Amino acid sequence: MLAAFLLLPTLTLLLRGVSSDFLPTLLSPVVTDALRVSVLTSGASLGLTVLLGTPAAWLLSRRRFFGHALLETLLDLPITLPPVVAGVALLLAFGSRGWLGQGLELAGINLAFSPAAVVLALLFTSAPFYIRAARAGFSAYDPDTEAAARVDGAGERDVFFRVTLPLALPFLLEGLVLAWARSLGEFGATILFAGSLQGQTRTITLAIYSAMESDLRPALVLSAVMVVFAFGLLLLVRLLASWRR
Amino acid sequence: MNRHHIVCVALMLGLMGWPAAHAAKLTVFAAASLTDAFSEIGKNFDAASGNTTVFQFAGSQALRTQLEQGAGADVFASANTAQFDPLVKAGQLSSGQTFARNRLIVISPRGSAAVSSLADLAKPGVKLVLADKTVPVGDYSRKTLDLISKAGTYGSDFSARVLRNVVSEEPNVRQVALKIQLGQGDAAIVYVSDVTPSLRPDVRTTGLPTRFNPLASYPIGVLAASKNAEAAQAFVKYVLSSDGQRVLKKWGFVGAK
Repeated sequence: MLAAFLLLPTLTLLLRGVSSDFLPTLLSPVVTDALRVSVLTSGASLGLTVLLGTPAAWLLSRRRFFGHALLETLLDLPITLPPVVAGVALLLAFGSRGWLGQGLELAGINLAFSPAAVVLALLFTSAPFYIRAARAGFSAYDPDTEAAARVDGAGERDVFFRVTLPLALPFLLEGLVLAWARSLGEFGATILFAGSLQGQTRTITLAIYSAMESDLRPALVLSAVMVVFAFGLLLLVRLLASWRR
Repeated sequence: MNRHHIVCVALMLGLMGWPAAHAAKLTVFAAASLTDAFSEIGKNFDAASGNTTVFQFAGSQALRTQLEQGAGADVFASANTAQFDPLVKAGQLSSGQTFARNRLIVISPRGSAAVSSLADLAKPGVKLVLADKTVPVGDYSRKTLDLISKAGTYGSDFSARVLRNVVSEEPNVRQVALKIQLGQGDAAIVYVSDVTPSLRPDVRTTGLPTRFNPLASYPIGVLAASKNAEAAQAFVKYVLSSDGQRVLKKWGFVGAK
């Protein structure tokens, strides 16, 4: 029963989405703009996540310092926080009237309604998924392996790139996939913090929402694309999980 | 489940669904701009009639989509006829009566000097927030800009230059107003009635001359699928009554007549 309940809506959506005018709708500007905005913003958010999240996760798994447990918990907070709340928080901090936003504005950076605002919203809501997985990855094997490499004369750089990273890689990739899925599904924080403009800040989910109110077809096609994509991501997660073992 | 049970359940459902003469539960779908006025009207109507009225406020275009997809509502109050008439044509809705009218106004954050006249809207780099063109206020806004272009006072490409400044197209008018209230964006076009007491301290308004700013008409009607058609009619009547009209005017609307 539950299986049918879980599967039927998705299948119906796929059937309706992949109708006769699938291709023309897929190539219409509403759809391609949304895909482009989503790919670019989620790509940028993923890049920042890896760049900033990897060292953070490594530090958290290797060093013990004052407030360690608290910081770990706080970094996980966006996972359980409703996205709309994340949007309100971002507005209050980085909005034009927000306390950080005013500073940025003085520095000539205006985030309001820019794709950069979308990236911040995605980063805020999705990076914790990566950090969490990466932390698990860095803690999953015996640190003595690294010590052994050091004894054999490897520098810190070599140890990280030749030993730590390859060992933790399956975890990192899984975290990355989860973070990507989360950022592609982001809605609440984005529409509050970045607004919604086709080709600029209107991501796939925002385009679906907006199309549902006028022309249904782009909404159906984009939804079908998301279903296929989500399925692909799940497959990827399973593959990575089996690789880990 | 044996037959006896089924009869029992059917009876219970029947009793629950029976429209009680004086305590109907009404669901009203209303345009976002009606949020304050209809909430107050609903309270007064419930107190006078003993009904329980709940509202769903959203962009009229969103409500229309939901109704087309079979959402259960008794009354629909839209901010324009474009999102109302198709439902009438489809036989889902009784023909509408105009119950309120409204005008547009330009708002900008109180502390910002970026926009202080209509001409400023076309200044390059101004961040203008509009409602999506499917949202009634978004449609009215674009028509107003066209009228200004045609008049030629600010140049015949005024509308095109202003639309180039649009940084966000919001799903309903209250989201548009919120962006300006929070200081995100330099200006926006909303209804006069959206400048509520809670918004007023945070924004500056710039009027739009009435010749560019025709009255927006709000139609209201009863859904054909309503299970409380009588109470729904009573609600519509109340909105059109002097009590209802007084509340609408208090919240900045222009009366029906």
